[in-house]
Amino acid sequence: MSERRLETLRGFYRNYVKPFYEVAHKAREEGKLVAWVASTFPVEIILAMDIIPVWPESYASLCAARRVSVPLCELAERKGFSKDLCSYPRCVLGSLFDGENLPEGGIPRPDILVASTCACDTHLKWFQVASRIFKKPFLLLDVPYNVESANAENLPDYYIQHYVSQLEDLISLLEKHSGIGLDEGKLRKTLELSSRASELWLKIQDYRKKVPAPMGAREAFSAVYFILCIPGTEQAVDFYERLCAELEQMVKQGIGVVEDEKYRLVWDNLPLWFDLQMFPYLRSLGAVVVAETFSHVWTGSLDPSKPYESLARKHLSNMSNCAIEGRIELIAGLVRDFRANGVILPTNWGCRMMTIGETVVKKKVQEMTGVSSLILDVDSTDWRNYDEYRVKTKLETYLKTLT
Amino acid sequence: MEILEQFRNLISVENKFIKGWKHQNKPVLGYACSYTPEEIIYAGEILPIRVLGSLEPPKLADVYLPVNVCSFAKCCFDEALKGEYRLLDGYVVSNSCDNQNKIYDLWRHCTAINKTYFINTPHSSTENAIKFFYEELERFKEWLTKEFDVEISEENLKDAIGIFNENRRLLKSVYELRKRSPPLVSGSEALEIVLSSMMIPKDEHNKLLRVLLEENEKREDLPEKGVRLLVSGSVMGNSELFRLIESVRGCVVADDLCTGSRYFWNLVRENGDSTMAIAERYLCKIPCPFMYSSEERFKHVREMVKLFDVEGVLIFSLKSCDVHSFDAPLLAEELRENEGLPVSCLEWEHSLSGIAQLRTRIEAFIEMLEE
Repeated sequence: MSERRLETLRGFYRNYVKPFYEVAHKAREEGKLVAWVASTFPVEIILAMDIIPVWPESYASLCAARRVSVPLCELAERKGFSKDLCSYPRCVLGSLFDGENLPEGGIPRPDILVASTCACDTHLKWFQVASRIFKKPFLLLDVPYNVESANAENLPDYYIQHYVSQLEDLISLLEKHSGIGLDEGKLRKTLELSSRASELWLKIQDYRKKVPAPMGAREAFSAVYFILCIPGTEQAVDFYERLCAELEQMVKQGIGVVEDEKYRLVWDNLPLWFDLQMFPYLRSLGAVVVAETFSHVWTGSLDPSKPYESLARKHLSNMSNCAIEGRIELIAGLVRDFRANGVILPTNWGCRMMTIGETVVKKKVQEMTGVSSLILDVDSTDWRNYDEYRVKTKLETYLKTLT
Repeated sequence: MEILEQFRNLISVENKFIKGWKHQNKPVLGYACSYTPEEIIYAGEILPIRVLGSLEPPKLADVYLPVNVCSFAKCCFDEALKGEYRLLDGYVVSNSCDNQNKIYDLWRHCTAINKTYFINTPHSSTENAIKFFYEELERFKEWLTKEFDVEISEENLKDAIGIFNENRRLLKSVYELRKRSPPLVSGSEALEIVLSSMMIPKDEHNKLLRVLLEENEKREDLPEKGVRLLVSGSVMGNSELFRLIESVRGCVVADDLCTGSRYFWNLVRENGDSTMAIAERYLCKIPCPFMYSSEERFKHVREMVKLFDVEGVLIFSLKSCDVHSFDAPLLAEELRENEGLPVSCLEWEHSLSGIAQLRTRIEAFIEMLEE
């Protein structure tokens, strides 16, 4: 079965990823402030302050895609970091310990580190360790865990208040370290762009609801970069506008990313970064991933007149910060809205947040939608326990059971 | 000494005090983490007891959970599935780690315990965090009042704080006995004493502690002398691992455990608003590693090392316990380089599977220290 490539995504690495590291390395040389940012931190603040953001998580996925992550994980393990920890920090910390031939000249070193407790313990611990290694300050946003509701409108006031007052303190600290004041006008503009990018990203997802779907997971896991890392920029809006235009054309012409679409899948959690060929392989079987939970947790509309409050609502209601019901509802909703007939639940060895409760997710999603899920025991970055043959056999067998 | 056996026997959800409490138709609340503000629960005449799991390898929980999950949290969930906690009227969890948080989802979905509560414990001790935690505790108080039809007055809170602080002071006196050589109570005995304090009303425990401190003066069957060790780690729900260390000539004289010194080291301020004082105490105590900074904990370990004349440190990380596993190499490095102390980092499972290998490694470490 032939596979269609999207024009907008051609040369993605060369055009967007590589320059990003070049810019960050250069900024360091020029003495600009570089911040390590964890994915659930409201990066709009960093962007509005002209601080150069670097995402260690992204760097780990890049190392995996370039097939160098395992030797780096091993370096961290030799320093005493347990093999059972998330492979992202093992890979990135390993790269700091005498890693050789690192992709893109290594991860740019930080002057400051910022994270939130929104996604997992790992962000906090990883950044704490790195802050000790670099002897650079680490600023943390302590985000209350959302046990009650994933609805951004329905959060207790003192949760919002806690987030907002921390953000205010944190901004003063960033201003102190960078010597740059936060320009309110620039923040408003960044939030507007972030909201716009978010809308466009959701529109892109809407196109994927069509049968046949014009875009799959391979593209989504690249294109999500903008909404995840640099949502409040012209570049993000521009890229998504072009992608929207291309998808619109495809939908008009009834062109799918797979010629003969037989299976429509929802993909939970992360991909196998070291084996992205998994998605073309699925396509060769007539299966297209029409939605990823990962594509649906970074969006949120922001009100520039209430910048901090809207950032608080966006992040507090992030599915990663919610009890299991949030995840179940998200997946079940994706199955319905995207007319999916299968769900892949890849675990991630060192990720408790996504591994624990998977059996309940599987059961509840089936009850709610009638669609069964496949749990795959894998890791996103560390391939040492990966048996390609076994995983492919499982996938093939699973697809055959789908109607 | 007979009193020591009493403490050991109290580490059970079937102990006579819990039964007596239930007999008076008063509720018992299980809690998962040492960040649970027990004083508030106790002030409502509800008995807080710590859910400590067992030594049995999980069976029923394996249906829901894979292997790469904290074996302690898994074990507690397993016991709940088996109905071992049928005495509990409710279960409280603190926002302390991913393992606990996510398994809490399963407690809600899969066990018969229907009154559950999640306390949103902040991960830092800033002014903002304390203010937030205060609100959160007010909310928790409301939940307790409503669910269990109890009253939690400021006066009750003050009394509870007094009793709990007294317990903490007495436990510290027990730890004092370990400064001598040989120590007047062994590591396993001390751990059992602390664990038992989480399983019965604190005023009753205070009585027992006073008896112990008095009787101990005349103790004749003193613990063996051995290599003086500090054990650092997360939770130890029983004293088996300490007994194992003692069986290979280790003498645990100090600890940095959430079921050990971290549980009682810090007092609650006894003036001003009680709920605020409780909020401050829990966020500012010797931190568990899920908190923003581990420096205070590392400092606590360094101080313990000096106070208790420690010769070597064993750092135990439960497998798949992320927060401790990240800290272990850092703490080890700090103790080796700054304090010149021998340190061994070990991974273990709460059910003590793989115990033979663990014994060999501990014994080798102790032999090295004996040379």
